[in-house]
Amino acid sequence: MIGFDIVGFMISWLTLFGIYAILSLTLNLESGTAGITNFGKVVFYGVGAYVSATLTAYLILMLNGVDVSETPPYDIEGIILLGELGNKSPLLNIGLLVLSLMIAFAVSGSLGYLLTYPILRVGPAFVGFTLLSSGELLRIFLQHYEPVGASKGLMAIPTPFGWIADSRVREAAYLSLVLGLLALTYVVTHKLINSPLGRTLRALRDDEIAALCLGKHVPRIKATILFIGSGFAGMAGVLLAYYLTSVNPNMFVPAVTFNVWAMIILGGFGNLKGSLLGAAIITFVDRVLTFVTPQLGVTVISPDYLRWVIVGLLIVIVLLVNPKGLLPEKPIKTPALDVVLEELRGESR
Amino acid sequence: MGGSLIPGIQQAIMNTLQYMLFYLIFSLPLTLSYRTTKVINFAHANFITYGAYVAIFLHGIMGLNIMSVAAILAFLITGAIAVLNNVLVFTPLQKRGSSPAIIMISSMGLWIAYKYLLYMTTDIAHYYTIKNFVSYGRITYSDVPRGSVGGVELSQAFVASLITASLVVVLLYLLLEKTKIGRAMRAVADNPSLAEISGIPKSFVVNLTWFICGGIAGIGGVIWTSFSGAITPEAGDSMILQVFTVGFIGGLVSLLRTGIGAVLIAAIENVGIAILNTYFGVPVSFRPFLTFVTLITTLIVSPPLGAGGGLPYRFLKRGSRR
Repeated sequence: MIGFDIVGFMISWLTLFGIYAILSLTLNLESGTAGITNFGKVVFYGVGAYVSATLTAYLILMLNGVDVSETPPYDIEGIILLGELGNKSPLLNIGLLVLSLMIAFAVSGSLGYLLTYPILRVGPAFVGFTLLSSGELLRIFLQHYEPVGASKGLMAIPTPFGWIADSRVREAAYLSLVLGLLALTYVVTHKLINSPLGRTLRALRDDEIAALCLGKHVPRIKATILFIGSGFAGMAGVLLAYYLTSVNPNMFVPAVTFNVWAMIILGGFGNLKGSLLGAAIITFVDRVLTFVTPQLGVTVISPDYLRWVIVGLLIVIVLLVNPKGLLPEKPIKTPALDVVLEELRGESR
Repeated sequence: MGGSLIPGIQQAIMNTLQYMLFYLIFSLPLTLSYRTTKVINFAHANFITYGAYVAIFLHGIMGLNIMSVAAILAFLITGAIAVLNNVLVFTPLQKRGSSPAIIMISSMGLWIAYKYLLYMTTDIAHYYTIKNFVSYGRITYSDVPRGSVGGVELSQAFVASLITASLVVVLLYLLLEKTKIGRAMRAVADNPSLAEISGIPKSFVVNLTWFICGGIAGIGGVIWTSFSGAITPEAGDSMILQVFTVGFIGGLVSLLRTGIGAVLIAAIENVGIAILNTYFGVPVSFRPFLTFVTLITTLIVSPPLGAGGGLPYRFLKRGSRR
């Protein structure tokens, strides 16, 4: 009887939590605060993952003098070469990580910015549907585009910390990277939501016409928010690609988007701490299902399917029972409000 | 034929007609359900898939290959699912005054849950019958005739969808224009509060609409099993882009414009991809991109403002600083 690997479980859960929490924080910024029904989170996540996987695999081969037109990284020979050459230079690996993060942010962000153009004129249903279908199109494109490995995807992607010999230390180093980026995302989204822009976003979510009449440039604000949110989602994709060391089109199904939606609905719309809590709970359930189901000997029901059914029902049930989520959105107290309250109190005395 | 400019243009035109009929059967109920209930139902894809799987389970487990039986059963089952969604989820949310976006998100949740529930069901069915239900082959039915018009072979799917689409159009017209309950449905669509005040049993009308809409989409799913070579639990999802785009062209309000949308999307996809494939070597599987371009164009050129809110940003002139 093999004992339960508690440290391994914690590392794998926290890494997954970090990646998903970046997604849920930014989705909360876009949907919970700004009211953009983004059903296409997976597009930007997937683009980020593919950018980093493609960039890393090709650059590692090319910098080691391999002719990628003859042995492309998706070929079996390419995969073997990647495994041999991948972890020789720590500097190169870290450099590729930084490069991937920057390019993924730029590419995913620009895609989000461009996609706001057609959806500015229409209501939430059309916005959601357009973004949803762009996710499906991305998947169809990836399945048939040979340079990124078509339906097989890319495998054996060299990881930034692959040169660390001890696997525990390597995983811990990666975890700290993920949590570091999560902290960055939290600070940025927190600052944004509690800034004048954040209050404009709430106004826009609650009454778009009123915001427009008050002179807010609604299209530009929406585009900015989708740029930032999508950029961070792209970075989460980079983290996922390096964590799993492989990407394939079937990892980016629409259900992934709704996993993130379930997190922000469970945690509470417009509340960033709620997003963290939601991400923690759902990734925990996910990890437990993956760790426990094989040990129970249940083979008829796949834990993957069970997880998605739970996620779907969770969205419906939380909306029905407690639509504000576990941590409801709180009103923001600005210095100006304090001054007004002070004055009111002063007058009443 | 001889030196045709596009090889396979005849096939492309046949496909256009076939897909037009499918899109009619799938999209008309979507438009009808939105305009009566004001719920954007993304679980619409489930009706199609569940309809298809009613036929598949009848065929695979019980060995039944009579389409009319499968169609009636699918109509009842998917209709019942639609009513259940409404009674358990949409109506309670609407009563609480949730925004349309929230109701839409709940339909998304239903969509995911139903989809993977079906995956689990196929796994369990596979466990007991050792048949592959996750990718099921085309079913040949015993009660649907094959036809031939002017030397062109008509498949079972074509005959069945032609009959069904004609019936759906005629019966919906008669129902909505000529009967009392149809007038009640239109009244609820136009002004729910006024309809309720004038004594129309709104919840009954809404439930009936859901039943009809779910049922029609389910029948479409049954016919799909006689057309598609590999039916998966994603059958409905793979068409959701086309079905919703067709509905959006009709603004999710006008049934007539939905019909025009069905013709348009079928033609753009089938003839368009035949041309692109011949001259530019674009793979046939990229046909959804043509629909997506149409969707984007529709949203930019003629944004459907009626459904789901939206602002007329056209008055925001380029360069106007705010």
